[in-house]
Parts: sequence; C-alpha cells; structure tokens
Amino acid sequence: MAKDVQPLNLYTKSVGVKVLLSLFSGFMLLLIVGPLLWLAIHAFATEWLFPSYKPKGWTLDWFRKVFEVPTLVDAMKTSLIISPIVVLLSAVICLPAAYASARYNYWGRKSFLIIMFASNAFPKIGLFATIATLYYFLNLMGTLVGVIIIQVLGTIIFMTWIPAAAFAAVPKSLEEAARDAGAGKFRVFRTITLKMAMPGILVAMVMSFIYAFDEAQGTFLIGAPTIYTMPTAMYAIVETYPIQVTAVFSILLTIPSVLLIGLARKHIIGGQLAEGFQIK
Amino acid sequence: MALPPILVLGTFIGFPIGLAFLFSIGFTGGLNEVLSIIGQDVRGRDGKLFTLQAYKDVIADPRFAGDVKTTLIVSFVATVFVLLFSTGIGLLQRLRGGKLSSVLTALSLTPLFIPVVISSWALYTFYGSAGLYRTIFHSFGIDVPQITSTMLAVIIGSIWVSLPFATLMITSGLQSVPNALIEAAQDAGASLITIIRTVMLPLALIPIIIALTFTSIGILGSFTVPFFLGANQPTMFGVEITNFFSVYNRPQQSIVMAFIVFAAASGIAFFYIWANFRNAKESGRV
Amino acid sequence: MANQSGEGLELVGLRKILGGRVIIDDLNLVVNKGEMVSLLGPSGCGKTTTLRMIAGFLIPESGKVFLAGKDVTEIGPEKRPSAMVFQNYALWPHMTVFKNVAYPLKVRKMSKSEIEKRVHDVLEMVNLMHHKDSRPAQISGGEQQRVALARALVQEPDILLLDEPLSNLDAKLRVKVREDIRELQRRLGITTVIVTHDQDEALSISDRIAVMNEGRIEQFSTPQELYDAPQTEYVANFIGSLNRVTGSFENGAISAGSDVIGIRPEDVFFSKNQIPGSVAATVTLVVPRGHFYEVYLKRNDAELRAFVSSEVPKAGDAGFANITKALIYRDGKLVRTA
Repeated sequence: MAKDVQPLNLYTKSVGVKVLLSLFSGFMLLLIVGPLLWLAIHAFATEWLFPSYKPKGWTLDWFRKVFEVPTLVDAMKTSLIISPIVVLLSAVICLPAAYASARYNYWGRKSFLIIMFASNAFPKIGLFATIATLYYFLNLMGTLVGVIIIQVLGTIIFMTWIPAAAFAAVPKSLEEAARDAGAGKFRVFRTITLKMAMPGILVAMVMSFIYAFDEAQGTFLIGAPTIYTMPTAMYAIVETYPIQVTAVFSILLTIPSVLLIGLARKHIIGGQLAEGFQIK
Repeated sequence: MALPPILVLGTFIGFPIGLAFLFSIGFTGGLNEVLSIIGQDVRGRDGKLFTLQAYKDVIADPRFAGDVKTTLIVSFVATVFVLLFSTGIGLLQRLRGGKLSSVLTALSLTPLFIPVVISSWALYTFYGSAGLYRTIFHSFGIDVPQITSTMLAVIIGSIWVSLPFATLMITSGLQSVPNALIEAAQDAGASLITIIRTVMLPLALIPIIIALTFTSIGILGSFTVPFFLGANQPTMFGVEITNFFSVYNRPQQSIVMAFIVFAAASGIAFFYIWANFRNAKESGRV
Repeated sequence: MANQSGEGLELVGLRKILGGRVIIDDLNLVVNKGEMVSLLGPSGCGKTTTLRMIAGFLIPESGKVFLAGKDVTEIGPEKRPSAMVFQNYALWPHMTVFKNVAYPLKVRKMSKSEIEKRVHDVLEMVNLMHHKDSRPAQISGGEQQRVALARALVQEPDILLLDEPLSNLDAKLRVKVREDIRELQRRLGITTVIVTHDQDEALSISDRIAVMNEGRIEQFSTPQELYDAPQTEYVANFIGSLNRVTGSFENGAISAGSDVIGIRPEDVFFSKNQIPGSVAATVTLVVPRGHFYEVYLKRNDAELRAFVSSEVPKAGDAGFANITKALIYRDGKLVRTA
C-alpha cells in the first residue's frame, strides 16, 4: 500500500510562515552564494572600485594571464597528478580494511572505527607540526612522497568509514545465495558485494579526491617552498597578485570538486555519506 | 586486513604524536634532537627528562588567554548556529518538503563544492573593505566598518564551511524517522513543537551528536578560516600553532598548544563515542 | 447536516484524491456507539485511506467526518477524540513501555500521579505490567501489539481505530490476539473501526463489516448477512468460497443463460442416490483441507466444488449432486436467491 508516500498532515499553511521561510531562504542565499558570486564576477572585471555595484569593464584577459604564470601552471599540474595518486593509494590501503571491519564481530569493528576517529580528533595543524620531526628524519620534507603521505592521512577516515558502512549494508544472505549458485569466493565479492557497495565506495573516492585536492595546511608545511599545489599556491598569490587573478584561479580550483560531486550527488545526498559516520 | 590503515596511521600519526608528546614534556633527544636544536626556547635541553615548563610557558604567555577565549567563543557560537540551521532545514525538509526546503538544502550543501581556501578568500573579499557587504550599506548612505579581521568574520566563515556536513547528517537522520512514529504522536494529541521535541529530535539524536562533534572538533582546530578572516591577535589556536611553529620558530610551544586543543577535542570525541554506544545498546545490538 | 449516529461515527460523502487518482469517492458510513466495524477489502481498495481520514491524517477533498456527534473534518488528529493502533505499532524506540503509554497523557498535561495510575491500570488490563520498563525492541511482536493497544486505550478515546493490527503476528497468535481485542472492546463498549484484508478476521470479530472495492463500500452489514446474501457479485467472490457459473438457474439445474450463478461449496451435496433436483455427477478430484475435504464434481451442466466432511467419496465415483442454495446475479447485483 502506498502509505509512505502519503504526506504528513502536520505543517501549517499560514501565510506568515511562508513569508518567514522565504525571508530565511533569501538570507541564506545571500550568505552562501553571495561571496562566491562576488568573487567569481571579479574574474571577468577589468577594474572594480568601491562602492560600485559593477566593475568598470568586462574582460577575459585574466584567464590568459593565469596560464602565463609558470608557478601557477606548475601548481595545477602538480595538483592534477597528486590527487588521483592519493585517492588510489588510499583505496588500496583502506578498502580491504573497510571490508574486513564490515564483516568483523561487533567489538572488533568498533575499536577499529574508533581508532580511526581518534586519529581525526587531533587538530590537523598540530599533527602537521609534529609530523615534521619524523619527516626530517625520513628526509621527506619538501618531497612529492611526503606531500602524498600527508594527504593520504586525511583521506583514511573517508576511505574506511563510508565503504565499511556500504559493505555492512550488503546482506550476508545475498553473498550466500551467490555462493550457493556456484560462484567462487572472489567472484561473489566482485559481482555481488563490490557491486552493491559501489555507490559508497564512489562517494568515499569523491570525498577523498576533494580532500586531497583542497588540502592546504599540511601540503604547505611539508611541500613549500619546493612543491606547490593549487590551494597552497593560492596562499601565495592572494598577497602578490590582483584579486582578479585569484578569482580566476578560484574558479579553476573549484571545477574538479563541482564536477565530481555532481557525479556522485545522488549518493551523497542519498545518505551514503551520513551512513558512513554512524558506528553500527 | 585491517592492518594497512592502522599501520599508516600508527607510523604517521600515532608515532609522531607520541614523539611530540615526549618533546612537549622535555624529551629533547633522539628524533626530537633536530627540532630542539633549530627551535627557540626549547625546555628540557638542560638534560631534565621531565618538565612541564613548556606548558607553563604557553599558559603564562599573554597571548594565551585571548587565544583560548577566541577559540572557545568561535567554536561554540559557530557550532550552535550550524546546528540550528541544519536542524531547522532538516525539519523543514522532513515535515513540509516542497520546493522551498529543497532550495534551502541545496544552498546549505553548496559549500561542500568549494575548497576551504576559496571560500575563505571569497568571504574575505565579500566582507572586506571593498566587498559587497559594505557596498550595500553604502548605497543606503551608511558607512559600516569591514567585518574581516574580527571574530564575527571567523564565526561566519566557520558556519559557512561546516554547514554541509551537519546538514547532510541531520537531514538524513530526520528523514529516517518513520512517518508512523510522527503520526502516532500526533494521534496521541501532541502539538508540532511537542512532536519535534519528544519524538523527532530524540530519534535523530545520534546523527545530531555526530554533526555536533565533527563540527566543533573541526572548528576547534581550524586554520584556513581564521587565517584569512580573523584578526592577527588574539586568534584561534590553529593559527597560533602555525605561527609558533613557522613564524616564531618555537616548535615546543606550538606542540603544547596542539595537545591542549587535542585534549579539548578528545572530550568532545568521548561524547560522540558514548552516544554511539548508548544507541547500540538501545536498539539491542550489544 | 443531520447526524443520526449519536455518539458513534458518521462519514458523509467522503472523496479523496491522492497522487492525481481518486482513491475514495462518495463514501458514506454510519457506525453506532459501541459497535465494532471492519473495513474489509483487498489492498489498494481505499480502506486505509478511509481510516486515515477518520483519524485526521488525511483531509478529504469533500465530505464530512463526524465523531461522537461533532464535525471534525477540518480538525487535526491531535485534537480528535480518536486513537489509532498503527500497522507496525509505531512504538517510539527511545521510550520505555511505560513512557510510550504515558505519552498521550503527558501531552495532555495530566498530573504525575494521575498518569501513573491510569498507565498502571491499562498495562494491567493488557497484562504487561512486568514489561513496563522494557524498551519496545526488547519485547515480542505480540507484546508490542498490546503496548500499542494500551497506548490507544489509555486516552479513553471515543473511537478506536485499528490499522491491520494483526498482520505482523504469526497465525496462532493472530487468533488469540483478535479474541483478546474483541473481548476488551466489548467490555469497554468502545466504538471501534478496524481495517483488515483478512475475511476470517473480519467475520469473527465484527458487529458489522463494510466490504470495500475501488474506493466504494459494496456492502455494509452483519457478517451473517454478508455471507448468506452478498448483495453484489464482488462481495460474494470476496467473502468465503464460491462456485461461479454463467447460465440460468431453474429447479436445481443450470441451463444456458446470461446470469451469474454463485453457489457456496457447502451448499453442494453429493450422494450415491438420486433425490429430487439432483443431477448425475462424477467425482474428478478430492483434496483434503484439514477438517473437511474439497470435492471436485463434474455434472453435465456445470463443474462444481463441494465441501464434504463425512462419507467422503473417491475420485472416479459416480453419483448425484444437488444444489440447495444459489445466488443469482445480474449485472453484478443480487437479483434473487434460490
């Protein structure tokens, strides 16, 4: 019976509430989209002086300028090379663990997830400061490997928790039914378990990519001054270049996240992310 | 199979933290030697194996009180607002649905798409001296000061950055409250407010607590937002830790501050773990 | 509008559209005070929608709902004098049994001692005092069902609404619980509407049954009437078992015609000897049904099933079959019984 799609007869239909909600929406729109739009428009402005609502003129020249600065182009290249490596490395390290924890007994799984969580509770910036000691010893300061490790650390929580929940949500009976139908262990994992957990893994990969792509604090501390990614380059250019250049760079930096989240939007909003953060 | 991530975390998080903790209480030998030679004002170099002098230094520093106050106020106020907004949006979505609530949800998820560096910078330009915020007031003939470099800007920025995760958590928690449980309360004579208070929020308590802990821990240790939007002094610990480490070259004090923040975060984390276990107990999983 | 039901329930010309489809159209129903009425029908017939309009979870597009003599059509469920037992019980998992039952009293701002007393009484009544501090997840399905019932009864509602209350219980428990519910309902004299798709359930506990089909009430009468004289072909098919033959019925024999003849298998008798009105028949199949047998008969005018409990024939036996009662329908409506 279509009981669940029947709406609740709870809310008020009063006009006052509607007006209030519309006002709130307007406020949120200004609060959230306002700053982004404000910055983005600068990318196309020749010059923009306070207190004018619009710039003096329009231009696409700033896009060309950004690609003429070698350090910025290098940063883009570095970012685009490092982030996929980080995601893959993190997946290789974490996915088996995520699967195992999903099929463990209750206490084993709990302690595992809590260790993950505890490592996340230490302030990132403090961690990066402490890690320097080890990095000096291992000669990882200012190296690509060092930056990759720093970024992998932050992705581990996404790569274990979200897939673990996704794996746990695959009913054991489905695996057993496939075994019963004559499929081997590996085949069952590949065709049933992995397939059904794929949305969760996808979300984990997207979140990891975004984290790696956006990570600035650790990368700056470890990589600078030899290695710059797009976000750490951003730190540098906000002080030396006109705002229009930073605006262009911001737009470029946002494109991958928007594309990827757009891709996985259904699953992220569908609860895969939220599911991952509950210890079950 | 659970070994690889634990190994990685152990090597690159557990081990350095342990080392750093030893450093903070005056153990300057071994791997800590490089830092203790480069750094200034390192306590324990005199050969004492255990000293709390570095902690005392930090607490006695005139900047400390201001930093504590700033960090606590920003974390608390921003977390409260994040929870209010995301719970409100979640309730609206659950109870009313419709276009308006979808728009609101989409809005509050937007920051998820934007790297924190970009959002901080965008907020900086928006609330700065030549930003739209001042432009709007100016067109009404009011000259307002810029918000950037104040605590208010850091709070706005923290809310901005934290909103998507909390909204995702809480919205999904409220969505999973079955219609029948809400209707049963309604049938029992409860008003909308009572239903929200006694049925919906308690049933979504775990996601709300998760949102609360992750939001507050995130803000507590944040760097980028206060770096771009805050004042130079007093500032939040995230910025101060960086300053002490790379600008003032006082690594030991920087690490001490990291442990102070960690202690606070652990307290919050404990709350999260407790809530999860209580939930497991209630639904009979333990 | 006149309200003849006194203190019971009256539905007048209800119409409900959901998702662009007319679910309920011009539905009228009067339930007397203290009466137990079933809404019976297959899934999708609109019975739950009707119940939800009585409870106030749905507002009808047109028509009126009167509860205890008052027009409550526009009133929300929280203000209606009705209490509902939900299909999956809808117990709040974060509250104990006691708190679940106390909730309706608490929102009515009753005094603590009064709540304590009334909850105790009602838990005593459903035999659940020993579980008062348990959580819903810790007790069995049958016990959860009783908690849900207690939570409804504690409100002392003018009308009790039950939405498929037994569908989640196993077969044995179902029979016991339905008797308990009926006994309690009689004792308290509470007006009750129960939604069910199970005809056994409806027939055994209702004073009257409203058989629903595609958003309308096909027939509203006592279980006995419903069985003996189903007013429409649909009802005859839905309630009990039926041999359905097209033809014309005259003196126990069926000849060519366009009427629909409905014959209950218990009104078909097989014997070795010919009696007036019986027709030669052979047994084609015998299926044991527990306390009776279902015998498939082939007569020269029709194939019929008969329920037989003694002197059971074997497949292949030849003899005579006669029909003692038949329901004759024209255009789906009952025109006569013979």
